[in-house]
Amino acid sequence: MLQEIDRVIQQYKGKPGSSIPVLQRCQEIVGYLPPEIQKIVARGLKTSAAEIHSVVSFYSFFTMKPRGDHNIRICLGTACYVKRVEEVLSKIKDNLKIDVGEVTEDKKFSIETVRCLGACGLAPVMVIDEETYGAMTPKKVPEVLAEYS
Amino acid sequence: MLKLIINDKNITAEEGETILQAALKNNIYIPNLCYDKRLRPYGGCRLCVVEVEGQARLFAACSSPAQDGMNIKTDTPKLRKYRQTVLELLLIHHPLDCPVCDKAGECDLQDLAYEYGKPDSRFIRHRKASPPDVRGPLIELTANRCILCGKCVRICRDHQGRGALGLIGRGFPTVVQPAFGEILECDYCGQCVDICPTGAILSKTFKFKARSWFLEEKETTCPFCGCGCTLTLGLREGNILRSRGKEGIGVSDGNLCGRGRFGIDYINSEHRLKNPLIRENETFREVTWEEALSHISSNLKETINTNGAASVGAIGSQRCTNEDNYVLQKFMRNTIGSGSIDSSAALGYAKVQKAWNMAFGRNSHPIDLQSPYGKEILFIVESDISVTHPIFGLNILEASRGGAQLIVADSRETKLTRHSSTWLPIEDGTGVALMNGMMKVLIDKDLIKKDSAAGLKGFAELQAMLEEYTPAKVSQITGISEEDITAAAVALGTAKSRMIALSVSATENTKGMDIALAAANLTILLGEDPSTLQIPAEYSNTYGLYHSGVRPLKPEDKGIMEILYGDQTAFSALYIMGEDPVTTFPDSSKILKRLKSLDFLVVQDIFMTETAKLANVVLPASSWGEKDGTFTNAEGKVQKVFKVVDPAGDSKPDWMIIKNLALTMEKELGVRSLEDIQAEMKESQPTVTDEETTLTFNPAKYVRGEEPSQEFPFQLVIRDVLQHSGVTSTSSKSLDLVISEALLEINEEDAKKQGVKDNSHVKVTSQHGSIFLKAKVSEEVPQGTVFVPSHFPYAKINTLTHLASNGESPISVVKIEATLGK
Repeated sequence: MLQEIDRVIQQYKGKPGSSIPVLQRCQEIVGYLPPEIQKIVARGLKTSAAEIHSVVSFYSFFTMKPRGDHNIRICLGTACYVKRVEEVLSKIKDNLKIDVGEVTEDKKFSIETVRCLGACGLAPVMVIDEETYGAMTPKKVPEVLAEYS
Repeated sequence: MLKLIINDKNITAEEGETILQAALKNNIYIPNLCYDKRLRPYGGCRLCVVEVEGQARLFAACSSPAQDGMNIKTDTPKLRKYRQTVLELLLIHHPLDCPVCDKAGECDLQDLAYEYGKPDSRFIRHRKASPPDVRGPLIELTANRCILCGKCVRICRDHQGRGALGLIGRGFPTVVQPAFGEILECDYCGQCVDICPTGAILSKTFKFKARSWFLEEKETTCPFCGCGCTLTLGLREGNILRSRGKEGIGVSDGNLCGRGRFGIDYINSEHRLKNPLIRENETFREVTWEEALSHISSNLKETINTNGAASVGAIGSQRCTNEDNYVLQKFMRNTIGSGSIDSSAALGYAKVQKAWNMAFGRNSHPIDLQSPYGKEILFIVESDISVTHPIFGLNILEASRGGAQLIVADSRETKLTRHSSTWLPIEDGTGVALMNGMMKVLIDKDLIKKDSAAGLKGFAELQAMLEEYTPAKVSQITGISEEDITAAAVALGTAKSRMIALSVSATENTKGMDIALAAANLTILLGEDPSTLQIPAEYSNTYGLYHSGVRPLKPEDKGIMEILYGDQTAFSALYIMGEDPVTTFPDSSKILKRLKSLDFLVVQDIFMTETAKLANVVLPASSWGEKDGTFTNAEGKVQKVFKVVDPAGDSKPDWMIIKNLALTMEKELGVRSLEDIQAEMKESQPTVTDEETTLTFNPAKYVRGEEPSQEFPFQLVIRDVLQHSGVTSTSSKSLDLVISEALLEINEEDAKKQGVKDNSHVKVTSQHGSIFLKAKVSEEVPQGTVFVPSHFPYAKINTLTHLASNGESPISVVKIEATLGK
């Protein structure tokens, strides 16, 4: 894993504006961005850890907490909200027994909320990994989650 | 040149200047919170908005370039209303705890709120209320008061080159803090404290000490390194409460390092000497000045009568003023009748002076702190200038950000190597070989100024000497690859303008006179004039000391080698002013032996130093800050230092003590006041105007002193740490909070092999002695080398070192043994 990160750093080293793509790749490799990884990136890119941490903490795409094998991203945007996404969310939370931003004990699922997924026509909408689920209802939740267990 | 009108006043501006810069230059104030001249425009606070005639929108003056013909208004009802809104928004979250804020009275936010703010707000106040971060040793972060202008983050990252702080998070919850909420660990320069427009970053040493409006401010010159920065001291009731930099004042122009900002409290140390002391067997007895001086007088007279005046020697100090040093040498030459006077500069800066004289035929060698600017290439040889001369270091970093190529040859990672375009990881003490190798490449590739160089004295000898320095051989000595050596030489040779910089200091042991000669050869070979080579004097008055005559001037005058290391019978009395040879000079066991063999030793200092403990008479001197006088910085600039506080106890200025002593010995010096001394100095030392330059090549071979062996496998490299300067700063309580002990840094692999753990104690032994130190295991240190600073008297680092010949690098070799237990 560390070797892979090193390769990524070497590839981008010295190029301006390289911290975001490097962090993106690192997150793909590790799954999240713990301080240790950010420090390695900072050293490799000849910048400071504070600088890297400020980038990571600014973009919601980056996470410093480990995610589950399957990351659930659920939209709280206006359209979804009007279509009662809150109920879907609380059903998921109940079902998995975790809160937003947490990971299930078996490390299988994590929940994340987003502002808009750009699919308002399908509201309420959620995305698990790369798969989109539209017109969600609390009722549908158990069967959708079952697909992943 | 651009012509524009601001508030009906015709002004001019340079191409590329912003409206704000043009206005400030013409003394027109435009409100701002996120602008600083050292930083790039940020456009964050929006307070600097101005109206431009013919334009519907408002312009942020800090980030809009001035244009020809602009007609600008900076204060209109519309702008006032706009600024009022900005402040209204800023104050939603600000705690408005001015009554308990140290910044109150000099706070930009407070001043602007007073000027533009309105008493009521349309918003519901939501004061931030997180506890301040007080974990760091010197700097406190109070996020509640932060307006997120990012000035601290930017000065730390973009100017100081450190990047210890970040704007962490997004939106309202954003906070300024170190990465991952760790404890602030940085240069402790405190630039963020000065630059913060509110009270969000505070100096812990100044906290709750005084309201800013009760402070009296006084400018004086910093007592530490050769940069000679101007400190703006905040005084109250006879105490120095703080020190800060002010834009536009002195060589530092608002910048300061941690030593100048936090380290000056050494003068308040409880270990200051307060009364004259006379030795009585193993203890000292407090005496009056009269008794002390007549005791010295009779003893010195007796020594002169029995052993002759030449048996009396003296040592001056790089930390004492020009006046102190001048009076000491005059006392020696006139009252005593001996020219044997020298200083620790003999082991550092005097070597540079000698090299300078040999290579350029000049007697004075002022540097120019601004020299990095406008150069295409900057070459730093085996020197951590950001540590030894922090403000010069800032200029190097600034120039490299401005596009100059920075090549740094250093054995370990430093701030300069981190910001360099090329880092040549060099084996310690082999800088001479590297430069010889580069010169050979330059000659072979015909990149030298042949017509000017070939005709100079020593060229043939240099060429012959360089024959053996092939890239292959140099690579073997220095550990740098052949390609890198060649590339660096070619880059240096083809550049249109260059600066070569290094330091040669008594507290570093990797360089001798030869490196200065090699650098001078390189400079001349490239057809450059002496100003290309920048070797700054080490301490606040090293430069001045040399020029006040504290050195052997006549052939019969003895220097430091004879005074401290030479024939045991040559000297029977010594007068040491402001120096602690036992701590700071190499091979301390030899010095101890010499000092103990003396009939009579006088030590005049501010502390009971290791040397003073051996003295027959100890005289308490007033410190910097307790006396008037002048320091000459590395640029050769004579700058005043002022008496700002009362002398500790019964201490007196050094010059006054010596003047009184001369009086007691009935051989008056003819100077009664500081003015007398200054007038006499001016007369005796005509100001050096453009000296004639005679160029000479002085081939310098790479010579190896002690070499690692089976028995002593490690090289011991002595280097300064950023938070300390010489010995005095170790008496600063503030700096002690950051670094208070001499840590021996050792490579991870080496540590494993020797069974040394991080934070454990080790026994370090050289051919000259052994000491115990705490180890710090580090991956930044190259294998086979251990690093240690020499600042701390108790560590007795110089027990391990040896006195090297003038030219070679005085690296000692040691063995490291883990001690049992911990």
